[in-house]
This record gives sequence, structure tokens and C-alpha cells, in this order.
Amino acid sequence: MIEFKNVQINYGDFVAVKNLNLNVREREFFTLLGPSGCGKTTTLRSLVGFVHPSQGEIFLNGENITSLPVEKREVSMVFQSYALFPTLDVYENIAFGLKVKKVPKQEIDREVRDMAAKVDLSEEQLKKKVSELSGGQQQRVAIARALVLKPRILVLDEPLSNLDARLRVQLRRELKNLQKQFGITAIYVTHDQEEALTLSDRIAVFNKGVVEQVGTPKEIYSHSETEFVCNFIGDINRLETPVVKELNEQMGGGYLEHDRHYVRMERVHTRQWQGGKEASVLKLTGRVEDAEFYGVYTKYSFLVNGTVIKNIEREDGRAPHNIGDEVDIYIDIHDVMTYRERHSYAVDQ
Amino acid sequence: MKLKNMMLTTGLALTTLLAECGGTEESAAEGESAKEPLVVYTNSASDGRGDWLKEQASEQGFDIEIVEGGGGDIANRLVAEKNNPVADVVYGLSTMDYENFKKQDMLAEYVPSWAGEIQGDINDPEGYYHSIVKQAILMIYNTENYDASSAPADWPELWNNEEYHGQYAILGHEGGTGRAIIAGILNRYKDENGEYGISQEGWDELEKYLTNGYHPAEGEDFFAKVADGSVPISGIWSSGIVPKEEEFGVDVAYATPEVGVPHVVEQVAIVEGTEQQDTAEAFVDWFGSSEVQGKWTEEFSTLPANEGALEYADEATKELAESVTVQDIDWGFVSENIDQWVEKVELQLLP
Amino acid sequence: MQWINKWKGAASTKLAGLLIALFFAWFIVSFLIYPNVNLLKTTFIIDGSLSLEAVNKLVSSSRAVQSLINSFLLAVSLVMTVNIVGIFLVLVMNYFDIKGIRVLSLGYYTTLIYSGVVLVAGYKFLYGEQGFLTNLLAGIFPGFDTGWFTGYGAVLFVMTFAITSNHVIFLSNAIKKVDYQTIEAAKSMGASDFYIIRRVVLPALKPTIFAVTILIFLIGLSATSAPLIVGGQEFQTINPMILTFAKSVTSRDIAAILSIVLGIATMVLLMFMQRMENNGNFISVSKVKSTIKKQKIENKWANALVHIAAYLLFVIYALPVVLIIIFSFTDTFSIENATLALDHFTLDNYLLLFTDFSAFRPYFISIAYSAASAFIVVMITLLVSRILQRHKNIYTQLLEYSMMIPWLLPSTLIALGLILTYDKPNSLLGNQVLTGSVWMLLVAYIIVQLPFTLRMLKAAFFTIDHSLEEAAKNLGASSMYTFRRILLPVILPSTLAVMVLNFNNMLADYDLTVFLFQPLLEPLGIVIKSSTDPQASTDAKALMLVYSVVLMVISSVALYFVYGRKSK
Repeated sequence: MIEFKNVQINYGDFVAVKNLNLNVREREFFTLLGPSGCGKTTTLRSLVGFVHPSQGEIFLNGENITSLPVEKREVSMVFQSYALFPTLDVYENIAFGLKVKKVPKQEIDREVRDMAAKVDLSEEQLKKKVSELSGGQQQRVAIARALVLKPRILVLDEPLSNLDARLRVQLRRELKNLQKQFGITAIYVTHDQEEALTLSDRIAVFNKGVVEQVGTPKEIYSHSETEFVCNFIGDINRLETPVVKELNEQMGGGYLEHDRHYVRMERVHTRQWQGGKEASVLKLTGRVEDAEFYGVYTKYSFLVNGTVIKNIEREDGRAPHNIGDEVDIYIDIHDVMTYRERHSYAVDQ
Repeated sequence: MKLKNMMLTTGLALTTLLAECGGTEESAAEGESAKEPLVVYTNSASDGRGDWLKEQASEQGFDIEIVEGGGGDIANRLVAEKNNPVADVVYGLSTMDYENFKKQDMLAEYVPSWAGEIQGDINDPEGYYHSIVKQAILMIYNTENYDASSAPADWPELWNNEEYHGQYAILGHEGGTGRAIIAGILNRYKDENGEYGISQEGWDELEKYLTNGYHPAEGEDFFAKVADGSVPISGIWSSGIVPKEEEFGVDVAYATPEVGVPHVVEQVAIVEGTEQQDTAEAFVDWFGSSEVQGKWTEEFSTLPANEGALEYADEATKELAESVTVQDIDWGFVSENIDQWVEKVELQLLP
Repeated sequence: MQWINKWKGAASTKLAGLLIALFFAWFIVSFLIYPNVNLLKTTFIIDGSLSLEAVNKLVSSSRAVQSLINSFLLAVSLVMTVNIVGIFLVLVMNYFDIKGIRVLSLGYYTTLIYSGVVLVAGYKFLYGEQGFLTNLLAGIFPGFDTGWFTGYGAVLFVMTFAITSNHVIFLSNAIKKVDYQTIEAAKSMGASDFYIIRRVVLPALKPTIFAVTILIFLIGLSATSAPLIVGGQEFQTINPMILTFAKSVTSRDIAAILSIVLGIATMVLLMFMQRMENNGNFISVSKVKSTIKKQKIENKWANALVHIAAYLLFVIYALPVVLIIIFSFTDTFSIENATLALDHFTLDNYLLLFTDFSAFRPYFISIAYSAASAFIVVMITLLVSRILQRHKNIYTQLLEYSMMIPWLLPSTLIALGLILTYDKPNSLLGNQVLTGSVWMLLVAYIIVQLPFTLRMLKAAFFTIDHSLEEAAKNLGASSMYTFRRILLPVILPSTLAVMVLNFNNMLADYDLTVFLFQPLLEPLGIVIKSSTDPQASTDAKALMLVYSVVLMVISSVALYFVYGRKSK
């Protein structure tokens, strides 16, 4: 549905986005993920039409929209600051786009009230000034304002940043529901990996103006194609040289010491699990150094051959480890992700 | 809502303004039928003089509109507008200004019917401007502080006699009176080779005058200072004495120097390029006549230039006319140089 | 089909842009550049050759040099004193929890309704030789020098409390937009009240402080009334001299050179400030702002001190106004001696002024001119600000600096330039003669208001969150629609404030008006000047008081239209 073809975007001498090729499918919730300054917002803004690529083309349903003006693209945006118009009330904010289109008054009224109901804004709230709304209500107004125009695409630029954690989780859920309910294609920009994983159908991970990997949350998480992606997403253990040596000893070689080997924390086990193929399991011994209690789970740090390996244990009532305990540690070698200096690859594929 | 109201209010104001101007433009279009008022420029319309004149004139069928301002401002405005004059008639100001106007071809030649009734050589011999009111520029003192023997008899005593230092007020040199006093002093030291036609001695004397006197601040009434005796001596224009004495309830007397006192003459002239030459002439004929000037002096205690009007004047004015002589001042020379003199005063002589 | 429409749309916006560019080119050349250049030409080119004799005259005049130094000294001193007082006022009005602030604020607002001669006269009433306070002090301390209120200190004192209007309006607007969360955050980190002000609140106000600082400096440089009235011999500034010289054909070159010196100083400051502004990042990044809450000062002594200062300031601000109003109802005797007695109260002064209906005419004329010009200036300036906000290139820079030209020349010279240039048919104005027409004054009023208005509105424009405009564009709004529906309402408070200040400023103008008014439409400034001239024998002082009161009433009404109804 959306296609970026060899897109490059410059700000003066600075190359913000380099040779970008992306495909977004109809009705997909697609996330651009990356640290700040990686080019994700620039990419988004080029789709909306606020910035123009210096090279390459952008297609929407096969139509080249690279030089189409903003208002003709039917791409609605929800801004990081929401950009609600402070001098208009909630109703007027939502009605703004329809009014611009010179839609008849009754129709505007119907559409606005319809939309307000869908995003759960009450009659009274419609009459309020935007400054009188809470952060969550403001977000719903911003989304309603964007959706009431029935855009082909909804783009959202970090709309949940700067909100408190509880609200963020709640709004995330609402956002996903709304997207499903409207059956709309959504492009979402965030630097929060948890947000990206929970919301998205697919994710593109950006780094320094380049897309490192495109894939489903599971693919991105479990089979990170690059070291950057693997590090950026989730908490992870890097296996230091003594552990790699141990690995080679038990498995009979194959792991180069100058490559980088990672294993995700939840894939480090302290109890032998059922049905595991013994042959592919690495067994280590470690001493409990530290324990962080999170309620649902506890994060442990073990000292193994002089290096630290961390894991997560569900607080399911089984006896917890105590600091100083000697513990057996198991790692399935299929869970080890290996990257070479430059061209990285996952060993188990 | 607020924006709308604002727009409405300003819109209303605008329309009023435009309506007003539309009106004048219309009348300008019909203009030739003498419906347009005669525009009179003057610096001498305060104290109800303007209203009085307008009323009297309208009884005679003259529709006049008075534009008033400070003497310097009105003269400047007139000069600036010389290519497209707004004024039809100008009165007041002083001979210096009219000399300047004449030099720039801004006046229309017209000898009014009463020109012959003016005493002395104060009319323009070439017939461009004619005299209406004489202002003797007098040195006055509070009679509670001085009597005829202890008071200064002539200007130079003010700075040559230490007794008077700080006791006299110096009027601003932007106004006609202040300028006339400077002219009266400098005129005594004419020197073709001196700076701006004045000898070094003259400049030294003027500097002493300026350094040893009291300079009233802006908005401060010099006469109040004279009246309360803190600065009991000052220069003043003659028609100002009577009303000021009444206002402040004091008695002042004036010096009668042997060289005479400067007389600033208020003139009247028709502005070159007026579209209402006939009306303007009729107005000047009426305004300068002994009858009107007589009423004018009755109302405002002016010293009329018209001999026939003098009999209407009050006793004090008549006495003044008799007691002081006219200082012989070459006004053409003064007019040529006064701006430079004032500039020198501002830049170098003022303390 | 679609491409035709697209082409048409693009062409029409292009055409509109071209028309606007043409309009400004014409406007700037016709009203800002050509008349002034014309005047400077006639001033400096004598008999076909450039004459710079004026420079020599100036350099050799110790009085001129001293006055110039005084002007700069005053400007620099004022930048400090006014900012201190102004910022204190703004904090007291909007930030600290002060008892009785509603009443106190009224006092602080008084500078909005009276200015210039009236204001200084009011101070003189209090502190002058015959002044109320002077009499009081002289009564208590025999041998008290009644001439104490004169010189540099007196000028600085009067002007410091006279020009806090911009702080009270614009800085107050700005402080209300400070994100309260940042203050709470600082508090939670243990910062003291005054540390928060210094490190959190004031930095957020920087752009506005810069803008008002430029204005203070300008006002200081061109100080006229205060030094003339209370400066005395020892502290005269340059602007009165410029005004005197500007009115004399012979000395006009000196006036022009002095103005240019002041102008260059202003420009240097302006560019310096602009650079500072560009370097800083002042826009709040918070998503959910919370509005500022009044802070109770924790330290008991500090609290008491701030309260005392606030009330003292109130007295300083309010007393002159109160005295002017009271004395306008007394007879000459009371006014002269600054004493009050029951049997000296009278309505005569007012009766003198309003004898018949025609006495009101000058008021209507001045109100119409002031309102129309204030309105048009705001319209022009909004357009310019918008252009400056959207485009940044050599042409827009040129546009901005051209709009500042009127700051470089005293109004007398601007007026004379206009008359000299448009007293004959000129093709720039379609061969219309401006001299003597009703338009002349309107044009001049517009010209002189441009720089201040642009400076303030531009500042307002640049604080708007850029994403508002993008959001509107994204929702399909045209640039014009966005401007009208979104941006204008956001900056409306500042716009209206500028407008009402302009209105009040022009209401009783004399310097510019006297050269330009149409004979049939005599404005207020002329009437006031002629009836309060020292040469007039009518009771000038009493009349001045009455006029002052009337002007204050008109200004208050104008302010009420803008501010008063907002509280509803």
C-alpha cells in the first residue's frame, strides 16, 4: 500500500535518511522504531508531506505522491504534542478538517458526534476547552480529529511519550483497539521498544538513517538480524570469552571467540526444563550476586567464570534463590545469537 | 467573539473617518463655488482668539477654518507645503517669518485697503505682508521686589550687575519672544566680519546672558516665578502682561531702555497659490481694518498696528504705546541669521 | 482535469504571493524609504554637493556631546532599573501570592493610561519644588532642599516607573505560559523560591525580556519629557535638541546626524538581541502543561519584604494619578500651592473645557485616527510577521529591517519628509497629492507605529508551537485559513495589547500631528497644546490636568474593551 523507493532525505549536509526501501501493507499497524535522531520521524514526515525527499519516490496505492501537497495525500497525523488548537473547543477541533472541506453543517455535526462516541468522548467534553482535558482525553481528541477525515493512513509521532506509565499502557491498548475498529493503516513512530512490540503488526528498526531490520515483533525480538537490533530491543546478556570457551568445550567447538554472542535473559534457565534436548543445552554453574524483585518476576545476576549473566525468574511460588547460592544455569544453544564484526548473522538459521 | 467585536469597533471608527473625509472630498470637488472654507494658519489663536475670530468672520459671511500650532511649527508646515499650499491666509508669527516666506515666493502680493493706516515702516514695502498687531518685547519685574530705581533699565544690566544674576528668567529660544530678545541683544553687535554677522563681543555678551539667568523647565510657567518673587525679572510679549497679571494677582512694571525695545510685528498675508484669492483679499481687508483690530484689542489687550484701532485699546496698552520706543532692528538681517544664532546658542552658548 | 486544478491552485498562490511582494515593495519604497531619503537629500546636499559641516559643529559642541552621553547613560541605566522593577511587578502580579494584589495591580496598570508630559507633570506635582511630598518633607525637616527632585536621579526615577507598561503586559502574558511542572520539578529537587525564579522562571521569559529590553533602551535614548521637566541644567539629553533642530531648516542636518547616531546604536542593539534570540531554545517541550499557581513565599522575612516593596511600588505608581484626578477638581490656588481644602473644590475646570458640543469634535477625530491607524498597522504587521515566520531569506530580512526605519528618525523628520515628497503629484501614489489631505495623518500614524508593533507581534508569532500549523495543514486547511482560524486567535491577546497601546499613544500626539493634520479635522493634541501653552493666559495648569484626566478615561475605556471583558 505504501512504498518507499530509494528515498534519501537531507537536511543541508546532513543525511537524515539513507536509501530507504519500505513496504507497508493495507490495514497494518506498522512501527518505525529507533533511538532519537535515527531518521524515523523524518521518514514519517516525508510520508505526510512536511519534508521532501532529495532522492527517491514514495507511492501510495501505486500512485506517486512524492510531490503531492500535504492536504491532498489523505494522510492524517497525530502529533507528538497533539497540536490541538488551544483557541478552539474540543468539538471545533474535531470538526476543523471537515469544515475546511466545506462539508454541510449537519453532516459535520453527525460525523463529529459519531467519532466522539467512538473514541469515548462525552457530550460535555465536546464543549470543553482542550486545556481542560487530561492527557488521555487530549490524545483521543487528537486521534478523533485525524480519523474523522477518514484518511487512507493514520500516522502517529510518539503520541505516548511524556505521559505517565499507567496512562501510557492504557492508551496503548485504546490506540490498538481504535486502529482495529476503524480498519485503518497506521504508521507509528516511537523509541519505546515495549510500545513497538505490543502494538505493531510489523516493525522497522532504524539506526542512523538506515533501516536495520523489518519484521514482526517476534522476528525482531527473537531473531534480531543485526547486533544493533538485538541490543536495542529487550534486555540481553552478552556471553563473555570464558563462557564462550566453556560453550566450545561442551558443544565441541563452532563458536569463534572474536564474534559476539548474545542470549536473552528469559532464555537463561536455572532449572532443567522438561523435554529439553540435552544435547543442545549448555550447563554452567554460577553464584547468585544480586536479585531485583519486580513482583511478577525477579531479575538475578549470576557470577559465571568471572563474568555476569542475568536471568529472569517468574515468581510462581517455587523457592527463590538467595544471594550467595550456587546455582546451575542452562542455556539452549538455539537461543544464542551470534554476530560477526561487520556482516552479522544468526548462527542457528 | 472578541475579535469580531474589535473588528466591528475599529471598522466603525474607520467608516466614521472615511465618511468625514468623503465629505471633504466631495466639497473639494464642488470646491470652486466658494463653498470651501478659507484656511487660516496662525500661532495666535489661543485664549479663545481663534473662536472669537471665527465667530466674527462668520457674521461677515466668511467661512474660515483655523489651523493653529506653535509659531515655529506653523511656519515649518507652511514652508513644507509651499508646492501645494493648504493655507489661504496666514496671520500672526513675526516679520522674520514673513521675510523668509517672501524669499521663497510663498506669499501673494496684495496691498489691503488699510495698509496706509499702519504707523512706521513695519509693512512690507513690496506689498506682500502687512501689519496687524505689534508685540513689544518687554523686560518686566515684580514691583514687590524692585522699584523703578532698583530695577534694571536695560538688558545688559542683567548680566553685568551681579545683583540680578539668577533673578531673571530666560524664555525658550524656540518661541518668538525668546528669539526677539536674542535678536535685540545681538543686533547691538553687528559685525560683517564676525561669526553669523555678530562680533565676538556680542557672542560673549549673549553667553553671559544665558549663563546668568534662570531657565524655566518645560511646562513651568515663568510668570509664576515672577509672581512669587523667586525669579522676579523676565522678558514677555506686551499683550501677555494684562491677562497674566490678572491670573496671578500681581503687579509688574516694565523697563524702558533708551535703545528702545524689540517690536515683533504680527503680520497678515495671502498665501501664493490660493484658490480663493478674492475671498482671501476680502478677508484680509476686513481683518486688518481699524474696526476689527479695535475689537481685537478690546477683547485681548493687543497693541494694534493700525492707528485707528489704538483708540479702542485700554489705558495700559495706550500707555505702553506711548512710553516705549521701537528698537531699531534690521529684521531682514535677523531673519537671515536667526536660525544659525539659535543653533549656536543650543550647541555652544547654553550652560 | 486534476492537473489543471493543481496548476490553477499553484498559480493562484503564486499570484497572491507576487501581489503581496509587490504591495510591500511599493509600501516600503513609497512610505519608508523615498520620503526619508528625499528629506536627507535636501538636508545634506547643498548646492549639489554633500555637506557634512554638521559633524564638525557637533563634535565641537561640548553640550551636544554631553547630552549624547547622557542619553546613552540614561538608556543603559533604564535597561537595568526598569527590568528590575518590571520583573518584580510581573512576579508580584502573577507568581507570588500577595495579599490584595487585585488592587495593587490597578496601580501598576496606571502607566498604560498616561504617559509623556502628563506623567512627568504628575510626578512634578508630587516631588517638584511646590510638590505635595516636597511640601510635606519641608514641613517636617526645616531647611529641606525643595529643589531636590532634579537631575539624573530624578529623570531615572520618573522614567523607571513610567515605562514598565511593556513588562506588565507582555511579560505577564509570557509568565502565564511558563510550564508549572518545571517549577514543581525544581521545587521537588529542593530549590529555593528565588533559585527557581532565577534558574527556571526567568530563563523561560528570556525572549520577551529581550524584546522589552530593546524598547526600554529605545525609550531611554529618545527620552524627552522627563529630562526637560526634571532634568535641570545638569542632566539634559539629546532628543530635545534633535527636536529643536529638526524644526529649523538651517539646523536640520544636525538633527539628522544625531538621529542617525541614535539609529545606529539602536540597530546594533537590535541585531545583538536578534542573535541572542536565535541562539537560544526557549520553547517549552512539555506535552501536558499545567497552569501556573501563585507561590506563597516560605521565608517569613522575605515574604514581608516583598509585600512591603509591592505596596510601596503601588504608592509610587498610584499617587501621581490620584493627585492629578483630585487636583483637576480644584481651583488655581490649590493647584499652584499643591494644598487641598474643601472650599477650593470646583467643577469649573471641566466646564471650561466642555462649553458646547463642538468641544468634543477633536476627541472624535483623534479617536478615529488613532483607532484606524492602530488597526491598519496591526493588519500590515501581522502579514509581515507571518511572512517572516514562514520564509527566511534576503528579501524577508530586507522587509524586516525596512519596517524598522521609522525607529531611526524622529517623527518631526518623518513628517517633513512626507510633506516634501507628496506635496506634488507623484506616480508612486497614482499622482495623488497627499499634503493637505485627510490621508496624510493616517499614513504618518501608521508609519511611526510600525517598528514597535512588528517587534512585539513577531515575538508573539515565534512562540507559537510549530506543529499547530502543520496539524492544520495536515487537516487540509489552506495557509490563509490556518492563519485566520488557528494562529491569529493564539496571538490575539498580544495583538490586542499592542493595538490598544498604539491607540493610547497616538491619541494626544502633537509632534507629528501639527505638521500633517487636515485643517478641517483638528485633532486633540493640537487643541491641548494650544490651550495649555504657557503663552496662553487661560489657566494652563488646570486645563492640562483636565485634559489628562479625560485622556486617562479614554485610554481606560480602550483598555477595558481589550482586557476588562476577558474575565467574563
